[in-house]
Amino acid sequence: MNKAKVFKLAKGFRGRAKNCIRIARERVEKALQYSYRDRRNKKRDMRSLWIQRINAGTRIHSVNYGNFMHGLMKENIQLNRKVLSELSMHEPLSFKALVDISRNAFPGNKNVVHAPRKVSIPVDV
Amino acid sequence: MAILCSSSSPSMLAAQRVPPSPAFSTKSIIRTKFLGISFGLTKPIAAVSNRRSFQARCQKDLAVVPLDQRWMFEESEADGPDIWNKTWYPKAADHVNTDKPWYIVDATDKILGRLASTIAIYIRGKNLATYTPSVDMGAFVIVVNAEKVAVSGKKRTQKLYRRHSGRPGGMKVETFNQLQQRIPERIIEHAVRGMLPKGRLGRALFNHLKVYKGPEHPHQAQKPVDLPIRDKRIQKQT
Repeated sequence: MNKAKVFKLAKGFRGRAKNCIRIARERVEKALQYSYRDRRNKKRDMRSLWIQRINAGTRIHSVNYGNFMHGLMKENIQLNRKVLSELSMHEPLSFKALVDISRNAFPGNKNVVHAPRKVSIPVDV
Repeated sequence: MAILCSSSSPSMLAAQRVPPSPAFSTKSIIRTKFLGISFGLTKPIAAVSNRRSFQARCQKDLAVVPLDQRWMFEESEADGPDIWNKTWYPKAADHVNTDKPWYIVDATDKILGRLASTIAIYIRGKNLATYTPSVDMGAFVIVVNAEKVAVSGKKRTQKLYRRHSGRPGGMKVETFNQLQQRIPERIIEHAVRGMLPKGRLGRALFNHLKVYKGPEHPHQAQKPVDLPIRDKRIQKQT
C-alpha cells in the first residue's frame, strides 16, 4: 500500500515509527498481523474474563466455579458465561438463585479424599 | 440464543424487573431475548443487598438521543448504547479511590505466604464479581503487627532475601531473621509484591498495601473492616 495509507495506520506509534516510512511500514505490518491474531484471541480472552467474574461471584456464596457450572449443566440451564457474568455483577439476587439451583443439583465434592498433610513441622516464632 | 431455565428462576427473576421510569416512552422498552424479560432503559440498579451497595453507572444522559442528532447514529443505536449484549467495563466513577473499602488484618502468628496470598487477592480485586484485569478495582489493606508474622520449618534462619545494587559484586544477602530485626515491614511487602502483577498497574496496586510494625496505624478515619480470611491453615499450628 502506498505511503499515505501506511502513515494513516501508523498514527499513535512511538518515535520514528509514525514518521519515517521505512520504520513505519514494518511496524504497520506487525500491527496488522497482531490485529489479525488478536481478533481470534479476543474471543478467548473475553471468555476467560467471564469465567473469572463468575468464579468471584460464586465464591461470595461459597461455591467455586467448577461445581457451579457442573450443577448448571446437570439442571440443563443453558445460560452462557457472558450472561452469567453480567448477572453476577448487575443482578446479584438472581445470580444467588442460580447458585442455589446449582448447589441443589450438585452439592460439591463431599467424597473427596484430601492428600495426607505433611507431618506438622514445628513453627518457630 | 436458546435459553432453558428451570421453572423456579423466571418467577424469581420476574421479581427483579426494574420498573421503567416515567420519563421514557413505552416504545423504548426493549423486549430482548436476554432473559425473556423486558428491561426499561434505566440504569441497572443493584438489588437490595445490605452487604454491599454496588451500582453500575452507565451513560445515563446518552440513553436518549436528541432528535436533531439522530442522523449521526445508526438505527440500532438510536435508543442509546447497548449495555445488555456487551461485556461491562467499569467507568471512572466505578473505581474512585475514596469509595474503596479498607481492610485490616493482624499478622500475628499467621503464615507469611498464605497471608500474602489473601491480601493480594483483595488488593487486586479478584474477590469481586466486577473484577477487571486492566482496572484497579481492589481494596486497600492495612497490616499491623508485621514483626510477628510466622513461617514454618527452618525458614526463620534459612530463608534468604537477596538484593543487588546493580554494580559488580553488589549482591546483598540477608536471612529472614536479620531482615525482621532491621525492617520487619519489608518481609510482608516483599511477599505481597511477588504476588501482585508486575507492571504499571501492579506497582500502583502495591501502593494500596499499608504495613505497620506495631498494633497502631494512622488510618482510623477510613474505618477499616476486618479482612475475611477463608484459608483454614493460615494460623500457626501450636
